[in-house]
Amino acid sequence: MTWLTWRQFRPQAVTSLAALAAFAILLGATGPHLASMYASSGITACQGQACNRPAGTFLGQASGVDTLVFTLGFAAVILAPALIGVFWGAPLIAREFETGTFRMAWTQSITRARWVVAKLALPGLGAIAVTEGLSLMYGWWAAPIGQAARLAPADSFPLGMGPFSLLAFDAHGVVPIGYAAFGFTLGVTTGVLFRRALPAMAVTLAIFAVFQVVMPLAIRPNLFPPAHITQSLDQNFSGQQSMGSGGHFTFTLDYIDSEPGAWILSSEAVNAAGQPVSVLPAACAHAAASTGDPTQCLASKGIGIAVTYQPSSRYWPIQWTETGIYLALALALAGFCYSRLGRRLP
Amino acid sequence: MTAVIETEGLGKRFRRLWALADCTLSVPAGHVVGLVGPNGAGKSTLLNLAAGLLAPTAGTVQVLGGPPPARPSQLARVGFLAQDAPVYAGLSVAEHLKLGARLNPGWDGEFARRRIDWLGLDPGQKAGQLSGGQRAQLALTLAIGKRPELLILDEPVASLDPLARREFLEDLMEAIAERELSVVLSSHLMADLERVCDYLIVLVGSRVRVAGSVEDLLATHHLLTGPRRDLSTLPAGQQVITASHTDRQTTLLVRTSEPILDPAWTVSEVGLEDMVLAYMRQAAGGGRRRPLENHREAQK
Repeated sequence: MTWLTWRQFRPQAVTSLAALAAFAILLGATGPHLASMYASSGITACQGQACNRPAGTFLGQASGVDTLVFTLGFAAVILAPALIGVFWGAPLIAREFETGTFRMAWTQSITRARWVVAKLALPGLGAIAVTEGLSLMYGWWAAPIGQAARLAPADSFPLGMGPFSLLAFDAHGVVPIGYAAFGFTLGVTTGVLFRRALPAMAVTLAIFAVFQVVMPLAIRPNLFPPAHITQSLDQNFSGQQSMGSGGHFTFTLDYIDSEPGAWILSSEAVNAAGQPVSVLPAACAHAAASTGDPTQCLASKGIGIAVTYQPSSRYWPIQWTETGIYLALALALAGFCYSRLGRRLP
Repeated sequence: MTAVIETEGLGKRFRRLWALADCTLSVPAGHVVGLVGPNGAGKSTLLNLAAGLLAPTAGTVQVLGGPPPARPSQLARVGFLAQDAPVYAGLSVAEHLKLGARLNPGWDGEFARRRIDWLGLDPGQKAGQLSGGQRAQLALTLAIGKRPELLILDEPVASLDPLARREFLEDLMEAIAERELSVVLSSHLMADLERVCDYLIVLVGSRVRVAGSVEDLLATHHLLTGPRRDLSTLPAGQQVITASHTDRQTTLLVRTSEPILDPAWTVSEVGLEDMVLAYMRQAAGGGRRRPLENHREAQK
């Protein structure tokens, strides 16, 4: 059965290996230059705040090609699980039903259970290998940018922010394994349910997209209870402030001095008692009007910014937990396909 | 007489439609059995149930004295050629033989190679590029190559043109002649089966209308023509299958194992095709509900 599965999977395997090779060539051609630029930028030798400048300079030096490869690479890692689900998973068994070949396969001298397991296992492991392969290659290439972005002021490189940013988290670490396994088994399951490839492909894409939006926005922030800190305004304030009519103002923080690389979930101005403040105190309205910056005045009134965040030490726990969730979903879907086809007759 | 397929009150429902309902029949071993009936009789569903591709909704089905094949040892004993002879379009002819060898412990590689060679199929050709007849031949080679005890063919020639039909059936006869093999094949056309079957089961609306060896059937069915008369005056041993009357004349198809003694009748032999049609007409005239036989549904 392994032979038949491999033979049926061969065209996809060849295509994806070619894509992996092309990706490797692209990264290999541009990566060493980026790495040498990083090595000579002085980031490796600096300490603390002193790194801001060299990091900013390095990111500024990154050319248009580097930005393009950065974006393309990210897109490849992010899209791979969806494409695998749609083009490998959904037709895998649906096509057998469409063409009637399941009748040939199921009347050879092997059990249906073995047929299902072989069909799930080989392309499933292939899906994980291809996606994680892409992610590792991209991780190697983008490491200097990620490192520098962590050290540089937030506005110096629009694409590279902390490790938790949407543009970094999904493409690095172990989560691509979970996405690939889930995308593939989701495709197979919809194929088993619809028994027609085309609707299965469309539904797979839709469901996968919903998961990839809901997970980072609603579930990932709450996988672990977030931490809280109140940052005073007299330190170097890194964030946005906006003034509205009637003295309304908001502060949003995007960097915590004591917690570099933290994932900021929300931030708001609070007074010394911890109460939210949204209207400038009268005393500071004057300062705001004359200098345009009420920060000093607010700090002197004991107003700071309360931040809810995930510290950077939670990066790997969150990565593993999210991967675990997706792998569990993938196993459940595979189990469903197995019991649907392998044990119970239609 | 041992049975290769034996059903008892067998039924299969797809959603709300019964494709096969309360079907009781017995397919004897050692024959080439033709299962004939109109579209919708439940033939395909019956054969898919026997091959273990479907699970019954009601009743039981026994294949080679056990449950329908599910375990490798049982699967190896039953060869199945599905309707429209599905093959993997992307795999070559040679790769199909490799598939047969990999998935069947009893695979007869020598036979398969010889047969492909004799059919003139190019081993390197993709199965998707074969003609309908060649595809059916390839699928048949796989079904026989596993050396089954029972070979089930579901409408093997339905999608073939007349020439390919004849060739396929001749090749089938040749391929099974050298083997100890029970064969069941279905068709809605008696003409297809006439040449190859030595046993016939006529199935209409899930019911067996008549079953028996071709020899017996031909010997016991007679066409009687004579002056018009009342059917109630016939001898008890004569079972009327169809009757037609004109003002002066009565024509009957009767089944009887006794000789026709009444000199008023002109007795003539009846062909298998006319006989089967008569049974189908009789069943249709009975107003029996015809369960649906829909092959798209049969996949569900």
